[in-house]
Amino acid sequence: MRIRAVVSATLASAGILIAGWQSGTHVADTASATGTTAGPASAGSTGAGTGTTGSAGSGAGSSSKSSSGSAGSSAAASGSTGSSGASSNAGGTFAGDVVQTRFGSVQVQISVTGGKITDVTALQLTDEDRRSVQISNRAAPLLRAEVLKAQSANVQTISGATVTSSAYLTSLQAALDAAHL
Amino acid sequence: MNTTTQTALRPAARRAPAARNPFKGQHRRRMLQADLLTVIAWASLAGAVALWLADGGAAGFSTLAGAFTAVGIVAGLAGMDLVLLMLLLAARLPVIDGAVGHDRALEFHRKLGKPSLYLLLAHGVLLAIGYGLAEGLDPVSEAVALWVLVPDMWLAYVSMALFIAVVVTSLVAVRRRFPYEFWYAVHLLTYAAVLTSLPHQFSVGGLFAEGTWQRWYWLAVCIGTGAALVHYRVLEPIVATVRHQLRVSRVVAVGHGVVSIEMAGRHLDELSGSGGRFFIWRFLAPGQWWHPHPFSLSAEPLQLDADGGGRLRITVRNLGRGSAALARLKPGTRVAVEGPYGLFSTASRSRRHVVMIGAGIGITPIRALLERTPFEPGDATVILRGHSPSGLYLGDEILELCQRRGATLFHLTGRRPRGAQTWLPESEARSGYRLASYVPELADADVYVCGPAGWALNVLDDARRAGVREEQLHYERFDW
Amino acid sequence: MQPTSDLEVPQLKAKTFRCMGTVISLTVPVAPGKGSAAGELALTAAAAAVERLFRELDARFSLYRPESEASRLARGELQLRAASQDFRDRYAEAADWRLLTEGAFTPERPDGVPDLSGLVKGFAIKEAGAALQALGHGDWCLNAGGDVLVAGSPIAGGQASWQAGIVDPQDRRTLIAAFPLGGSTAIRALATSGSAERGDHIWTSGAGVSTFRQVSVAAADIVTADVLATAIVAGGIPMLNRATSGWDVEVLAIRNDGGILATPGFRA
Repeated sequence: MRIRAVVSATLASAGILIAGWQSGTHVADTASATGTTAGPASAGSTGAGTGTTGSAGSGAGSSSKSSSGSAGSSAAASGSTGSSGASSNAGGTFAGDVVQTRFGSVQVQISVTGGKITDVTALQLTDEDRRSVQISNRAAPLLRAEVLKAQSANVQTISGATVTSSAYLTSLQAALDAAHL
Repeated sequence: MNTTTQTALRPAARRAPAARNPFKGQHRRRMLQADLLTVIAWASLAGAVALWLADGGAAGFSTLAGAFTAVGIVAGLAGMDLVLLMLLLAARLPVIDGAVGHDRALEFHRKLGKPSLYLLLAHGVLLAIGYGLAEGLDPVSEAVALWVLVPDMWLAYVSMALFIAVVVTSLVAVRRRFPYEFWYAVHLLTYAAVLTSLPHQFSVGGLFAEGTWQRWYWLAVCIGTGAALVHYRVLEPIVATVRHQLRVSRVVAVGHGVVSIEMAGRHLDELSGSGGRFFIWRFLAPGQWWHPHPFSLSAEPLQLDADGGGRLRITVRNLGRGSAALARLKPGTRVAVEGPYGLFSTASRSRRHVVMIGAGIGITPIRALLERTPFEPGDATVILRGHSPSGLYLGDEILELCQRRGATLFHLTGRRPRGAQTWLPESEARSGYRLASYVPELADADVYVCGPAGWALNVLDDARRAGVREEQLHYERFDW
Repeated sequence: MQPTSDLEVPQLKAKTFRCMGTVISLTVPVAPGKGSAAGELALTAAAAAVERLFRELDARFSLYRPESEASRLARGELQLRAASQDFRDRYAEAADWRLLTEGAFTPERPDGVPDLSGLVKGFAIKEAGAALQALGHGDWCLNAGGDVLVAGSPIAGGQASWQAGIVDPQDRRTLIAAFPLGGSTAIRALATSGSAERGDHIWTSGAGVSTFRQVSVAAADIVTADVLATAIVAGGIPMLNRATSGWDVEVLAIRNDGGILATPGFRA
């Protein structure tokens, strides 16, 4: 009977560990396959991290973006990720390894422009409410410069707070419509 | 010379072969249950580590800081899992008690103590090193930073200190220097240690952050363990005490330093059939109420009236400070009861033959077992061991039971030979008798032994040498 | 099928009309090589269908038309249970949204009068979109007073998304951001609500000024985008969090002090 217990326990434990391992490598692959996001987190601050969204597994938002026409990101080896490709310059943002710090998991992200590293930020993967940011799509603080941009020439329609008929006359939408009429 | 038998030694005649074993099914089920519990225990440990693996933790080994941190996290997970297992083992869960018995459960509990402490210490030290390396600090500064900056970490430090206190005082060497009561009080601090360790597990680090499935799993096992503890160690005893309303009815001396305590109560039929299993008694008298006594019933409960009222009896010996006071119990004292626990009963039978051997006050559960365990006439042997015929407590009752039920009875009295490791009295030992001499079918019998530890181990050795397997041996400790 | 590339400049044609107190534009790509007369005819027919839908809804729900059902309800001449099926359907839908947004979006003005304007415009755009699909148009962009719904691509038969610019509330002549809609993604709608312009149609839950000056929500359907944008302006940061965790949307929220909160989809 004891032998049976030892053998079964060993098999069960090994099976569980292997399942965990497999699941873990799958997580790492998904993390490196989706696009990266920029975070303005106060890098290296000793206070609790500001809420930022991590790059790992942000899922729907970033993957749909990468398939909508910006240069597609492709999975690189685990530990680094493809570029976000919004600009046509050689460059982009790359995320490094996930590091465990006393505040939780942190992923270092570097921004590269023209082949040079222009920015290094730390992304907090659990925000100050102890939520795993990997699974939440929360809105986080952003600088104006980091917001997705387009030149007026590339835009076909304008969205703004409800425009009255009179306000419309001087609006950008009117200009566009006039161009298309 | 001092051996008396009330029935003649039977010739070692061959019995009709392949007689049906009515306990085979029960035994197989119990072994399966025990194995299942072992598998679950190890699987839970693997599961705790797998939680971390599934989170991609293995990737942390790419840097030195990451490696220290990773091992530290795994050590914490494994340590906490062992702590939860220890709590469950001490919780007197029926599923564990029924499979391996309370004694063995406590044995595993004690064995897990040191490993769990080492793992938790490693958890603290390695994380201080790992986080420190990631931040560029030495481990001590990092430890201070953790205390000061990260919420809930100060509780974790408190918890660590409590754990160390509990394990150190439980070390046998330390335990001997302090009275039982002191050790027990410190041991209760384990609950405080576990509770103070919980907050940081759920608020620090990413593995159990909100939104992860790992958090749900960890919450479930912690809450499950807590619920089991509350139910089986707090609620059930309270319910049993209130239901049975036991009060001491009289205290009778039955020998030198031995008393029988009779109690009256209600619904005692529910406590019958427990054979040699033990209950935990607390006599609610000043100075006595917090001292738990594990004793078996020395007789089946007696039903006196149709309302369920009845009597039951325990027979105890003056062994320590706590039990000495029992002789002075006043009639009318209320009694809190928990149980029954233990595998010294029919539930652990695996063969049709049964051998019951008791020495000193250990005869008590033997008598209870003898009264109820099923056997055919001739399939049971009872051996009573004592210094003198007057030291065979409850001897008359046992004789009467053996006659009524058809069990073979031996009285073995006299001192053991000096310098020899044997359970037998001097003359029998010199004559070369062994356990098999008294029980020809020993290899195919359940052997129930109850008595002082040293003597009992000799009995068990004798049985093993005669070819009896572990699953057939049932030893009830009563001096823990 | 014409080959498409990102470098092609979309050739577009648009029709506009006034309704519901604002201007509605319908923009469609011109299929290269197709006769412009046939294309012009198709666009006119489509615009007419859309205009019809809008006017019907306006006639029923506008509180600025004294003879509309909504006005009659407001004056007490009509009980809600005696209102038309269409009206009650919209009211029920608005009530559902009130539950889902935990009160940030309500079908009533503070004085208790039913006001479905927050919902009707989005509903109108949705219905118009369905009509356009029914008429066989696969690529179009419908903008009603700043709420946008698209289908397909600005390049006829292509894969490129429509690009919708978002007005900077501090300077209405410039854009603060842009967002891709349609194309091969599931997100086709973008709605923007603000407390600056014409703010009296958003009632902030609880007294006081809204935390947000302008909120843009991109979603798969326009009613969701419209309601959530309005709800976030009214409900502030708690509603923002509820929206991002409860729906698959992208949000760009601009605070009164100019600071920005945005979901990953709005990051460059």
